[in-house]
Amino acid sequence: MQSENCPNCGAEVIFRSPALPARICDYCHSTVKRIADGVELAGEVAVLPFDVSPIQIGTRGEYGGKPFDVIGRIRLAYDQGAWNDWLCLFSDMTHGWLSESDGQFQMVVERPLTEIRSKLVRRLMKGETVQIGDRTQIDGAEFVVADARKATCVAAEGELPFAPETGWEVFNVDLRDADGFSANFEHEEDEEPAFYMGRYVTLAELNPKNLRAIHGWKMPDYAA
Amino acid sequence: MPPEPPRDPSRHGDHPNPWGKTEDESIEAVITGATTTRTVLPSESDSAPAAEQFNCPNCGGSIEIKAAGYSVSIACQYCGSTLDVSNPDVSIIQRYEGEVRKLELPLGSRGELRGIEWEVIGYQRRSENGQYPWDEYLLFNPYEGYRFLDTDGRGWSMGRQLTAAPEKKSLVGFEVDGEFYEPFYAQTRAQVDYVLGEFYWRVHVGEEALTADFVRPGKMLSWERSAKETVWTLSELLEPHEITEAFGIEPPRGGGLPLPHQPSPYRKKAGQFMKLAAAVGVALLIITSLFGGTSDPQTTRINLATNGVEQSAKVGPIVLERPRQAVTVSAQAPGIENSWIDLTYTLTNRDTGEEFAANSVVERYSGRDSEGNWSEGSSYSTSKFSMIPAGTYELNVFAAGSRWTEGQFGSSSNAQVEVTIEKGATFYSNLFLALLIVFAPALWQWWKHLSFESRRKSDSDFAGDDDD
Repeated sequence: MQSENCPNCGAEVIFRSPALPARICDYCHSTVKRIADGVELAGEVAVLPFDVSPIQIGTRGEYGGKPFDVIGRIRLAYDQGAWNDWLCLFSDMTHGWLSESDGQFQMVVERPLTEIRSKLVRRLMKGETVQIGDRTQIDGAEFVVADARKATCVAAEGELPFAPETGWEVFNVDLRDADGFSANFEHEEDEEPAFYMGRYVTLAELNPKNLRAIHGWKMPDYAA
Repeated sequence: MPPEPPRDPSRHGDHPNPWGKTEDESIEAVITGATTTRTVLPSESDSAPAAEQFNCPNCGGSIEIKAAGYSVSIACQYCGSTLDVSNPDVSIIQRYEGEVRKLELPLGSRGELRGIEWEVIGYQRRSENGQYPWDEYLLFNPYEGYRFLDTDGRGWSMGRQLTAAPEKKSLVGFEVDGEFYEPFYAQTRAQVDYVLGEFYWRVHVGEEALTADFVRPGKMLSWERSAKETVWTLSELLEPHEITEAFGIEPPRGGGLPLPHQPSPYRKKAGQFMKLAAAVGVALLIITSLFGGTSDPQTTRINLATNGVEQSAKVGPIVLERPRQAVTVSAQAPGIENSWIDLTYTLTNRDTGEEFAANSVVERYSGRDSEGNWSEGSSYSTSKFSMIPAGTYELNVFAAGSRWTEGQFGSSSNAQVEVTIEKGATFYSNLFLALLIVFAPALWQWWKHLSFESRRKSDSDFAGDDDD
């Protein structure tokens, strides 16, 4: 854990992860970036719009036998809606993303693209387009393209593996298989593409604690 | 789009407000202002707010976004206009001129279904080009996500969107969680005829999608493809009391054809009856084999010419100990050809002289005609005496042989018939009748099951010829 002061407003900024480079100041929404000797200011992000997500920074859970803490979030929007990508720090200091869209969750972790032998993914890496319904084999399972769209980062909070900027655009492709496994291809302009794999989960199976209490709704039994 | 009607601000002050805050000055303030303000509700609480409130830019009515952060569009519950709420500034997508409908499940209703509380936040009236309309309610719980609640008046189903693409099994069916779904409705075009409330996608009246449905008892798997995406939904049929207990509305009226995924109410009964019948049937067979059957055979042989002259023989004595019992007399004449032997049996009680009589025949014919060789008749026959009182009996056998001379093949001129008397008998016809009675209810239930299934499938695009 590293405690710093926000270079913009002076508020305390705590880094819980050992290696993540950026954190959004809770008070002034400045992006605070770690450098060799302390932190520096790296822009500012928009305030998160109100939502009724049951997840919050500080929510804990378990995935694949490993406990995790939710430490950050980016919110992405496209013409058909918006979703949250929650950054989860696992007990072994690796991280994953709990992606929340239309009330459904998937937990994905980054996989090096060099490991992925798939024609469709190679086409995506070359910047070609794919169609919804296109199929491909990844790790011996058949995945189908469920969605492909360009999204914009509208807001962020907490710690993040990059310094986000509001308005930053990403091309995102969602793939899924018949057993609930999911994969994500992401490509930002001027950046190397990234690939994430994981599976769809229910909140209940994450054995969550410290979910956000929402007025008028009973905290579910699985989170009590 | 028709030209925008002139706005009359005085109208808005009288607009019904479901939260009873008609005196709230903020409504007026927002209407006179140009843009919508969004505030969270409740503003003071230990927990996070549950909704976001704004005033409809068309009619000024106070609207709460219940699934804030997820909802993309809202059809105003007062004026029916469709609004885009994905941006902080709410904009009008489509104005609605008609009257706002009253919903069977009003927006904002909450009910517990299968252990989870849900709030009704959206409603769509859908149809196939105006035909076969159905209601589709959108349910929300921030911890559980979304569900769909569908009805076409015959029953209610609760559906959830699948995260895994179902696996194609066989040519036409699909499998989910190891359960097979057979095709029911082929690909067809569905449209949105009316919307109210909030949705996590961009709703609009007239929106079209291709749909197809697959069923198994109690469940329906629906495929829906729009320009943007392909969605699979798995619905479970709710019991009528479940919807009544959850939302306090009348249970669906029955009648009409069964629903595509309605489980046959007779199937289970038919199965139970069949099991019971099988058990009783086996017991009957065991009893028959234990207590049926014959014993103490005595045989006599009669040699006779097939000239119509009667010969006779005696068999016995045979002693019957039980108060009442059966006696079986069998005759066989293996060598006869194109001839027959008439047999008369008289079973006589030696002490009382009481007589029991029976007739039988053994016969055998063969020949050749345009269709080839033929043969008929049997050189073996049995006669059964039932309920014979105890006593010592002897059997008189009278046999008369005759020959059939019209055939082109030769007929026997002599014959030997062997007559055997035994104690006991196996009455197979009785057993058969008993089994029929035992199996009748099961077969009746099975028939009802099949006719239910046939009615259920009659609406299917995949109904086989055997269903009509």
